[in-house]
Amino acid sequence: MIYLDYSATSPLLPSVAEKMKEIIDASVEGRLGNPSSLHSAGVFSKNLLETAREQVASLLNCSPEEIIFTSGGSESNNTVIRSFENSPILASEIEHPSVLEPAKRFGGPFLAIPVDNLGRINIDFVEKHLKTYLHSKTEQNRQKTEQTQKNLKNHKKNTQNPVEPPKKILISVMLANNETGVLEPISELTNLVEKYRNQGLPVFLHADATQALGKIDINLQELKVDYLTCSSHKIGGPVGIGALFARNSAPFSPLIFGGAQEKKRRAGTSNILLASGFGEAARIAKEKNTPLLFEASVRPLKSYLESELKKLHKNLRVLTPSSPELSLPNILNVSISSVEGESTQLYLDLEKIAVSTGSACASGDIAPSHVIMAITSDPEIAHDSVRFSLGLDTKKSDIETLLEKLPPIISRLEDLSTLKPTIQKKLKNP
Amino acid sequence: MSEKIDWAYTEIVKDHFLNPRNYIMGDEENFKADGEGIVGNPICGDQMLVKIKVKDGKISDIGWKTYGCASAIASTSALSELAKGRTLSDAEKISAEEICDFLGGLPKQKFHCSVLGHQALKKAIENYKSKITEKKS
Repeated sequence: MIYLDYSATSPLLPSVAEKMKEIIDASVEGRLGNPSSLHSAGVFSKNLLETAREQVASLLNCSPEEIIFTSGGSESNNTVIRSFENSPILASEIEHPSVLEPAKRFGGPFLAIPVDNLGRINIDFVEKHLKTYLHSKTEQNRQKTEQTQKNLKNHKKNTQNPVEPPKKILISVMLANNETGVLEPISELTNLVEKYRNQGLPVFLHADATQALGKIDINLQELKVDYLTCSSHKIGGPVGIGALFARNSAPFSPLIFGGAQEKKRRAGTSNILLASGFGEAARIAKEKNTPLLFEASVRPLKSYLESELKKLHKNLRVLTPSSPELSLPNILNVSISSVEGESTQLYLDLEKIAVSTGSACASGDIAPSHVIMAITSDPEIAHDSVRFSLGLDTKKSDIETLLEKLPPIISRLEDLSTLKPTIQKKLKNP
Repeated sequence: MSEKIDWAYTEIVKDHFLNPRNYIMGDEENFKADGEGIVGNPICGDQMLVKIKVKDGKISDIGWKTYGCASAIASTSALSELAKGRTLSDAEKISAEEICDFLGGLPKQKFHCSVLGHQALKKAIENYKSKITEKKS
């Protein structure tokens, strides 16, 4: 199998599998206690858990105390959003559904930050809204002062309700998008947040780093976000575990109550097996400096694939920004005109090549990818999109095989397709 | 290709997707038809063109093109097999359920959005009938 779907999930790293086997053995032998227990089996587990936490913290360059283990990226995202229930939430329109759906449901209000045709957020939109909130805060202070003065004069109690500014505001923007690999201008956003926070606006920033982790440098001493979402299985760790980085100063409401685990931020018996696997994957990413490896060996393969695909098909639209500064090193999303994505995906599967698609059909949803719709406003482009996501194990020969197998598939599906000028013209003028 | 591949689709769907029957290879204008119909919309992700030849009140030949997912392609292929040789009134009765049964079932979410071929066939039959009426008048 030529696996080009690393962004969906990545193969378990061999050393992660080894580590997890050790933990399973320990459990079979009864050496693995509940990390909350005080006996030696409990302490053994607790040590494993804290080592894993240190490994994840070390990869992000933050304090282990700021790392909360969760069941994965979706839970981390939901936790952040729920910490801002009934507060204004600004999130980019291309966020993962685990941000958008809770934000729409619980935000007060939810505001979608528009993106341009590269998929980059409109910073001015964010600033415009922060200005409004700041204005309402200043206005409230002015009204309060006025009222106090009046009250002093009249010896009366305040009867007028001033404009209520929000008590807290969340901005949620991903570091890199999972479908196109576009990088968002997070540094500009952190500067903006800092500027308004310095003026007294209680605004906080969440970045979903699910796709970016291990692919680009993330240093939380420099990246001034308040929350960061991470997932284990995108870096070769096991599925079912993720982490949420939350600064101690940031608002926090647990999603799951009923236990003191994770410093009362996430109840439930700690999953030592998965945490250790995640920790090991993080250790490897840190030790190997994987962002450097991705730039050195994967980006050139992605660029090669992009340039060859453009030669193959004249009606191919590349949805991933070509500039290296604007995209992850490993994701390439293209839309092959008049050839539906699921069909391409399944024909490639027959050739033992795994890719994914933004077509609605593949997921069984009615609407096509909200990400590609936000970027292009064209449902056909979304239906025709195919995502290739590469890993450190991807070889040039894999890309060459793909380039050899794809053209006959495209020709076949194009020949079957009704999306050709002669037929579409007839439809308009029957 | 001999190795069994696990998809969400039945073996019959796979077969019709990979080896579609009666589709019009190349230029659709080369398939001289007595009636044609097109349904669906690229915006929804599926579109089918069905062309029929009619002889003695029966569908003597049928050709089609489809833009869409595996289920859309397979279901139009299945429809073409079901319609061939039927009288027009019988062919008009072909339903989405009949296509689905012929294919050994389809995933639930696919059934509503991608089985449209029978509607294109109905349009093709209407188109044929209107041409006949025009000729007579």
